[in-house]
Amino acid sequence: MFRRILIANRGEIALRVIRSAREMGIESIAVYSEADARALHTRMADVAVPLGGKLPSESYLDMDKILAAARETGAEAIHPGYGFLSENAEFARRVAEAGLAWIGPPANAITTMGDKIISRREMKKAGVPCVPGLVDPVDDVEAATREAEAIGYPIAIKAAAGGGGKGIRIVREPSEMASAFRTASGEAVASFGDGRVYLERYLDSPRHVEVQVMFDGHGNGVHFFERECSVQRRHQKLVEEAPSSILDEESRRAMGEVALQAGHAVNYCGAGTVEFLWSGGEFFFLEMNTRLQVEHPVTEMITGVDLVREQLRVADGQPLGYGQEDLSIRGHSIEVRINAEDPFNGFLPSTGVLHNLRAPGGPWVRLDTAMYRGLEVGLEYDPMLGKLIVWGADREEAIARMIRAIREMNVGGVHTSLPAALQVLMHERFISGDYDTHFLEGLTIESPKEYEGLAAVAAAIYRHHQARRKALAPSAAGRSGWQARTRGELTGHVGRAGVAAASEVQP
Amino acid sequence: MKTFVKFGETTHEVELTERLGELIVHLDGERCEVEYAEADKLGQIVLIHDGKSYAMSIEGGPHDIAITIAGHRYDCELEDERERAANLAARAANKGGGLLKAVMPGVVVEVLVQAGEAVTEGQPLLILEAMKMQNEIGAPGDGIVKALHASAGDAVGAGDKLVTLAAPEAE
Repeated sequence: MFRRILIANRGEIALRVIRSAREMGIESIAVYSEADARALHTRMADVAVPLGGKLPSESYLDMDKILAAARETGAEAIHPGYGFLSENAEFARRVAEAGLAWIGPPANAITTMGDKIISRREMKKAGVPCVPGLVDPVDDVEAATREAEAIGYPIAIKAAAGGGGKGIRIVREPSEMASAFRTASGEAVASFGDGRVYLERYLDSPRHVEVQVMFDGHGNGVHFFERECSVQRRHQKLVEEAPSSILDEESRRAMGEVALQAGHAVNYCGAGTVEFLWSGGEFFFLEMNTRLQVEHPVTEMITGVDLVREQLRVADGQPLGYGQEDLSIRGHSIEVRINAEDPFNGFLPSTGVLHNLRAPGGPWVRLDTAMYRGLEVGLEYDPMLGKLIVWGADREEAIARMIRAIREMNVGGVHTSLPAALQVLMHERFISGDYDTHFLEGLTIESPKEYEGLAAVAAAIYRHHQARRKALAPSAAGRSGWQARTRGELTGHVGRAGVAAASEVQP
Repeated sequence: MKTFVKFGETTHEVELTERLGELIVHLDGERCEVEYAEADKLGQIVLIHDGKSYAMSIEGGPHDIAITIAGHRYDCELEDERERAANLAARAANKGGGLLKAVMPGVVVEVLVQAGEAVTEGQPLLILEAMKMQNEIGAPGDGIVKALHASAGDAVGAGDKLVTLAAPEAE
């Protein structure tokens, strides 16, 4: 097994990998940007290497810097996490060329599955069911309008190089095509540097069900059952659960087998997720994500398998050592994403400093996050601050536990998606299990009237005390002057110490 | 002193009176027995009311306060009697038209209207890209584009001016 691995990522997923690695006796090397010098992954790793730079392109996306860091620190493998370089085939290739193990699938599998057009073509060839639509990109609005007639409305316009909901637009009638085509193509250029888009039938009342797969380098593959991810908005997931309440044993087995078929078709190795759309008892291949996914913990909770550990073992060349018949589902798990966004205001991004943090606890509650008090939440990175995960003996118990856990939690300083998740969990449609991917978009996020009066009282008293404290405190000008002076002295001191240390090392 | 606490469309009136160092609270004209304690200086509050304990988190102030109770979040605007009078006068003086501000930081991708153009409610005025998503920003009401404060390629912060609309001309 590896002795040292480098984690080319930040945030909660970097911590997630560090944790499993540490439990396996493997040292972790973190890399960090200028903005992340105080981040938790920088602090928690065994070794931290600064990449410098403010923009992701100067740090977590800079292949040269990351490979240099791996070389300098003697890392034997690189874990890319999710996002950033995790689905970059060129990086996977360069890691292998540098003589390091890539904790992810082969570059060819990433290339095939990363392009929606090529992947659909390959999947059709492998006998995997796909949504009706075009295999080739459309050039302009006129061609799109013409082709849409043949496929049938409603139509989804999708970016060929897409993912994460970027560059997707739904068109219900021909008159909407021009504006939707323009924004989808524009978003695709902005997000992926590739404006090619393609069309497919948009399924009504669909559910997003995905299957977690894991392959070793010896031709063995298993699936860890499905995750239900239909609670999403603009294709960004908010609440995920496993297992899905819409699948029975037979459809679960069928979907798992198709997922394995998809993986085998591209000689897959490592962890991956095959996403399906479920509509009216049929399921269609959507895409395969060639990385560990954000919502992987719900699968871990119901199977008892540490997926990061399996990733590391497989990347080390070890065989899985178990088969499909050894795996089973136990209980139910739910995950809620804690995003820095304002659910009362169209889920717009929210920024600020986390001045207050209260984490939930108790049995079967798991919090995967890189939040800490004092963290500055800006716009330079993904708004996902963390994930709250619970397990229950059955779905009902898991829902009750998640509601309980959300009520214990508080993130002060930014708006988060938690109140929206709470409303979802308490909604009768979610509780009944009968919901689709439009459920969240149709929901108006609002807080119950029941606590409004008390909130008003608390706010008024809080303001009263605030005003009183301000009146009693020394004048604002005097106080800020004193603070500024203290900060200046501290910086000066650190600067001098740094210079002294450097001159000692280099005489 | 009365404080008006506004949640969206609803406004609650909270009156605080200090008597012998104790706060007497009236909510919408009715006496409200509460015990209030700040658990820390970070906004953790305990409110005891009607025999029940409510753990809350509060942030912001003095005019915008957010309260989290039992996982629900309440954002409110506060004004006392003096502020209310001043704000009412200011609103009366500023009728028709309006200023459109960026609600989130981002980059202006494209401006779809020109100064002097008449626009209708909901008509896209510009495209703002934030978090790699392109968002069409629509007109808040009918009007005439009086001034454009940003052009394509500009980075704007939350609260920055985007477009000033003048009230539509009466026919």
